Amino acid sequence: MKGQPIDRFSSELAADTRTAVIASASSTTEKRSHILNSDYPDPNRLRKLAAQIKQHTLDHLDTYLEQAVSKMRENGVKVHFASDGDAARETVLSILKEKGARKIVKSKSMASEEIHLNEFLEKNGLECLESDLGEFIVQLDGDVPSHIVRPIIHKNRREIANTFEREGLGEYNDDPEVITRRARAFFRSRYMESDAGITGGNFISAESGRVALVTNEGNARFSMAPNRLHIALIGIEKVIPRDRDFSVFLNLLARSATAQQLTVYTQFISGPRVDSQPSGPDEMHVVLMDNGRSDTLGSNCSEILRCIRCGACQNVCPVYRQASGHAYRATYGGPVGAVLSPLLAGDAFPQYSDLPRASSLCGACREVCPVDIPIPDLLVKLRAKGKVEGIPTPGSPSMGGFARGATSPGLWRAGLRAANVMNSLPASWIPAPALRSWLDQRTLPTWKGGEFRRWMKERRKA
Amino acid sequence: MSDSEKAVFDSVRSALKAKGEKTPYPEYDTADLIARPRLESGGLWQSFSKNISAVNGKAMRSIDELVSFLLEKKCRFGHCSLEWDSTIGEAIRAAGMRTSTEFDRERFEDYEFGITSGSGAVAETGTIVLTDAETSDRLAALSPWIHIAVITEDQLVESLGDAIGRFDENNYIVWATGPSKTADVEGILIEGVHGPGEQICLCLPNR
Amino acid sequence: MESRQHTQVLFMATCLCDAFFADVAKAAVEVLEHAGCEVLFPEDQTCCGQPAFNSGDFANGRKVARHTAKVFGGDLPIVVPSGSCGAMMTHGNSIQFEGETDCDMMATLGGRTWEICDFLSNQLNINWEGSLQETRVTMHHSCHSRGSQTGASALALLGGIQGLEVQEVGQADQCCGFGGTFSVAFPNISAGMGELKLSEVEKQQPDYLVSADMSCLMHLSGLAEKSGGALPVRHVVQILRDSIVS
Repeated sequence: MKGQPIDRFSSELAADTRTAVIASASSTTEKRSHILNSDYPDPNRLRKLAAQIKQHTLDHLDTYLEQAVSKMRENGVKVHFASDGDAARETVLSILKEKGARKIVKSKSMASEEIHLNEFLEKNGLECLESDLGEFIVQLDGDVPSHIVRPIIHKNRREIANTFEREGLGEYNDDPEVITRRARAFFRSRYMESDAGITGGNFISAESGRVALVTNEGNARFSMAPNRLHIALIGIEKVIPRDRDFSVFLNLLARSATAQQLTVYTQFISGPRVDSQPSGPDEMHVVLMDNGRSDTLGSNCSEILRCIRCGACQNVCPVYRQASGHAYRATYGGPVGAVLSPLLAGDAFPQYSDLPRASSLCGACREVCPVDIPIPDLLVKLRAKGKVEGIPTPGSPSMGGFARGATSPGLWRAGLRAANVMNSLPASWIPAPALRSWLDQRTLPTWKGGEFRRWMKERRKA
Repeated sequence: MSDSEKAVFDSVRSALKAKGEKTPYPEYDTADLIARPRLESGGLWQSFSKNISAVNGKAMRSIDELVSFLLEKKCRFGHCSLEWDSTIGEAIRAAGMRTSTEFDRERFEDYEFGITSGSGAVAETGTIVLTDAETSDRLAALSPWIHIAVITEDQLVESLGDAIGRFDENNYIVWATGPSKTADVEGILIEGVHGPGEQICLCLPNR
Repeated sequence: MESRQHTQVLFMATCLCDAFFADVAKAAVEVLEHAGCEVLFPEDQTCCGQPAFNSGDFANGRKVARHTAKVFGGDLPIVVPSGSCGAMMTHGNSIQFEGETDCDMMATLGGRTWEICDFLSNQLNINWEGSLQETRVTMHHSCHSRGSQTGASALALLGGIQGLEVQEVGQADQCCGFGGTFSVAFPNISAGMGELKLSEVEKQQPDYLVSADMSCLMHLSGLAEKSGGALPVRHVVQILRDSIVS
């Protein structure tokens, strides 16, 4: 099929989905900018500070990880390590099996999406319910999320109402409030009956071993209140040096993600429940997952590991707005996905190598990034990686001829004059495929090769 | 150290070996992180009230105010932690409602409200701080539609940085900023998803 | 105009003006001369090398950049009527020359390079004074001017023209969809982005859409024309040149 995968997705995207994606993305982008600028005299200072803290942590990841792990163990947390997705899945499964847990409630975690944990646990005979409303609907539909923060932005209320009706959650009703109440009612007994809760984690303080976890719905609180086992699956890059750094990142995360000053619930968990507390897990396990992160750390794109998963780059991105999240064909969509997916893919890099190229390099992502990741630079570096590895780039003109012309001034000047013939050629005769692609969508201005140079010469003579 | 732990650390160390210059940890003052426009000149309580209202939570100063609210909501039964039973619980019962100092998980759906101790509140954000040490039961503060966190004036702090500064041995701390909410369906805001649909902070004079 | 000084500058016309937009290059020269500059045009110039760089073909990108460095030797300021080429000379080269022996030399070259609006406003400190018949333009800020002085400088210069009304386009943070080879390799996404931008421009009904980058304008006017409309476009320097009161 013609064209790049992401471009095909875009051309096949339903018009009303695109409209919904654009509306959500642009309104969140505007609100984000408003809240940051009204709360802080210079939000950029905050972004740069957060970037520096994260980069510092990454540059000393071995030390901070070591500190965090030893603190967590002191706090009574059982810490596990997983080099890849397989190991992470097996680790989680074996903890659950050992405790005889069969019914699991799960709160939203991008790390678990990355390794398709739900499917795996279900294949192994366990029930694993996604409790975040959007993720729950995605799970019911056998779908995948299309946005880091807004998983079902590609679905409208009618589709959701149909899903609920099909799944026996009540007669058709597409009122968002009714949908939400029904999910609430459905989950309450599920929480109470659950044997274990699985969550992600947004930050781990190396200083105290505290895991910070944010949600708006309260599902992560419920995932570790009635049951006896809590497992947090967390990427190794989520460490920050000190507790005080929480305030830097929490202030930025909610504002960047959803234009909230703070997410409704921020939990700081540093161990299993205390004796005085009647409810809460007796065991807390943290599974620290590498899954391509250390390779990324060693690459020339390590800055991407600063990412705190706010989705601001996705919202502001004009390419995402045209293509929607599924076009990125992986857990992470938008600019961060275009960088992260090819890197985390390891040997499957070629499968995602169109993503870094699918950008006008406009730089809007970098301007909104709460940790100031130079995303456009990383995209270009990944293009270079693709070039060096000889991955084909259909649709893009080869640069060898260009470089020969642009380093031979005589040839260049002659070409400028000769191409004047283009003005009188029918478009279909034009030999360059890139030019044809341009002309499919646009007209080209009249070729005026050499005209300025002649004028300049005349002017100097005068 | 397990094999997997060693493998991950080896991999991280070898990735870092090739790195040249390392970024230093930046010096910064957490006071610079405060969203100053959210603080009112009238003091912490005024700021807190404004900010919790902005996220549709409620700030109350008296037990009477709470009792009227619960009556208005037609509540009949709820949990009140032992600590507040002789004061708040008594007032609620006097108004004709029933309370229990226990939280019986077998009948968790029966509790229309849960009154538990908070361990602080943050003026800058309208946030209530809950800790395992102060909360009578995690579920009691989470499962009823209405949650009332009771604090005293001296527990109110200015900023998130101050709240972090007060972190102690507690191994489960929750910051709650308004009622539970979602905008997953077409971006429309709905309150009361899994957590409480009403989040109240009752602030009483220092003991 | 307040300052008229004698400054020699090396003019980089850009490949796009060399091929299509001769009048923009002429206008740039006239505006620089009006501002008191002596404009030198190195004949052997070709392109800054951005197409190869953007494609991730750093080897070919460096070849072209080295040629450009040779052509624009010396220590005179290099002035270019494009935020995009300017960013390539400063930022792009810093990436593709990372670890190369001539990395510092390229950094010096970048340090001498000025986007023309930025140069006029912040190097020559020009307070532009001009006049036009009643004209209403919409300003499109090109993405390569993000984080630079180009946008503010262009608005300041245009602000000195009597009879000119400048409007900002809605959703200003959104890219027009050009992006060099992106526009031909990802034609559907590129055109979709362009159409969104055009719908914002249409709300304003300007006499001209104005920018400091011809590439955006070529893409947008080409899209408009293909769908049967017409979008008159001007580079900032063309508006400045037309406003010169002799």
